[in-house]
Amino acid sequence: MSKFTRVAIANRGEVAVRIIKACEELGLETVLLHSEADVNSRAYRMATHKVCIGPAPTAESYLNIEANIQGALAMGAQAVHPGFGFLSENAHFAQACEQAGLTFIGPSAEAIRTLGDKVSCKALAKKAGLPLVPGYEGEDQTLNTLMKEVEAIGLPVIVKAAAGGGGRGMKLIKQMSEAAEQIESAQREAKSAFGSEVVFLEKYLDRAKHIEFQIFGDSTGKVMHLFDRECSVQRRHQKIIEEATSPSLTEELRRKMGEVAVTLGTLGKYKGAGTVEFLLQDGKFYLLEVNTRLQVEHPVTEEVLGVDLVKMQILTAQNHFVWNDNEVRIPRGHSIECRIYAENSYMGGVPSTGLLGTVHWPEGPRRRYEFGFEKGDTITSYYDPMIAKAIVWDESRPRAIEKMIRVLKDATVFGVHTNIPYLIEILSHPEFVDGTMTTRFIEKNFAEGLKATHNEDERKKLSQGIYKKFIASGSGADAGLLTAANQGQTNSPWLSHWRGI
Amino acid sequence: MKLIDNVQVEKVGQTLWIKSGDKTWSYDIIDLSSEGQRRKKSNTASPDVIVAPMPGKITKVFVKEGDSVTVGQALLVMEAMKMEYTLKSDLETTVETVSAKVNDQVQVGAVLVKLVKQ
Repeated sequence: MSKFTRVAIANRGEVAVRIIKACEELGLETVLLHSEADVNSRAYRMATHKVCIGPAPTAESYLNIEANIQGALAMGAQAVHPGFGFLSENAHFAQACEQAGLTFIGPSAEAIRTLGDKVSCKALAKKAGLPLVPGYEGEDQTLNTLMKEVEAIGLPVIVKAAAGGGGRGMKLIKQMSEAAEQIESAQREAKSAFGSEVVFLEKYLDRAKHIEFQIFGDSTGKVMHLFDRECSVQRRHQKIIEEATSPSLTEELRRKMGEVAVTLGTLGKYKGAGTVEFLLQDGKFYLLEVNTRLQVEHPVTEEVLGVDLVKMQILTAQNHFVWNDNEVRIPRGHSIECRIYAENSYMGGVPSTGLLGTVHWPEGPRRRYEFGFEKGDTITSYYDPMIAKAIVWDESRPRAIEKMIRVLKDATVFGVHTNIPYLIEILSHPEFVDGTMTTRFIEKNFAEGLKATHNEDERKKLSQGIYKKFIASGSGADAGLLTAANQGQTNSPWLSHWRGI
Repeated sequence: MKLIDNVQVEKVGQTLWIKSGDKTWSYDIIDLSSEGQRRKKSNTASPDVIVAPMPGKITKVFVKEGDSVTVGQALLVMEAMKMEYTLKSDLETTVETVSAKVNDQVQVGAVLVKLVKQ
């Protein structure tokens, strides 16, 4: 409806940076709504205005609807971009924004309720005769009922947060003996991450591929799709590597799934960017859920289609984006995204926190980096471990894979351990290379995580020699980093014993 | 960041970070100085001492002193970076002490549970 000139960002990290850049290009000012913990971040340094909305714990800041709205109003913003995660799929928030006179950059509260709530989305899809995975999405959320439903559906069963996404509040039940523990764990995670402990159950397809379609509803309500992405490489239901387009779809499947995605978006009166997720197994596809927001992996779609989804979102909210019927969009080449997590690849993926030293992302044609933290910033244990995304494009999938491996080998991240060695192994695995990986790829091939292949004594000796020269070169001081203690007192992974994930 | 013998080196806090070719690793400075070489490995891996593998919050404690536990049994649950991590026993034994309670914010390396050594 509205013309606006100042956009509040109810998010953090790399997506806040992404939104700030889109706003800058459109000549809009930004207001970063940040927690006390995020003062040392790129988004904080880049935003035109910023306001602290609460302490580090998400419930008191990024998930606090009132604090976000008050912050946006106090700084004179006229619109709010929620990014992804946090309040991005919260219909109450969308509604509260509109009630406070702020334009919510995303679908209407009604559309979020219809499509974003997995229970009502399934009901709508069922009515329209769209293909669904068998499951339970009833209102009775007692442990007893959920346990009975798990048995009725038949193992394996997956428990998911109704309000969720991103792998949080999601647990797999393989045996009845662990059902109660897994359900309760999912409920706690759901409550902590999304503020609602409602879960639903779904039959777990054990050799499925995760395929999703980017949909977009313009200012007039016309919904189109921007083709597909494949995100089968997941660990603990968290995506690690995404690509566009999927190497697994025939043209016929692509057309059919695209039609289902557009049908669902149209039925849900969808405006702005959304994603319809499917599972594909044995040539059959099942509707999984709709994410009523921008996705973490949106850049791969942007790369193969030459679009800017964040700008499209903002323009749609301003009533300035209308699909051009004469424009034919065809994906070109292949794009891959790797999520860089602050974790130790050699210790089962245990989170790694602390002060960042040098961070260097190697430049080159069609290499793109989305990151929210730089040298001198601190990675804390309060938030998601994703510190950056690397995105590449090339003419073909094999070349894109080669390029991504080069990029990861050349990247430098000091201060926290990252999953870069893990990503390189995955990208080099024959099953990934030939494109046949399923959502169980990690479980099947990397269940034990990575094993260190180096000789520890040799490495230590080498490091001691390097340290001597380092001191001799007059570099004994910290890397220009005056911020004192590195968060975890002992950073050395060889000192503490990790087990159990 | 410095280049020494074609290797990237940087001191961040009390840790030395090194990148050689495509491999990155780090050591606590104290382990690289001559003093550190004499330091005894006191905190090495031991399955009877369950330590926090990362900084975070304790969200659930399943065991108490004197409980018998089996291999793979969940002892407690931690939350960090919005994910839950279950710490499990690698031993079939009994619980000696439990030094963590729900809602504790713990540092990496903090001892949470001690099991009776076998």
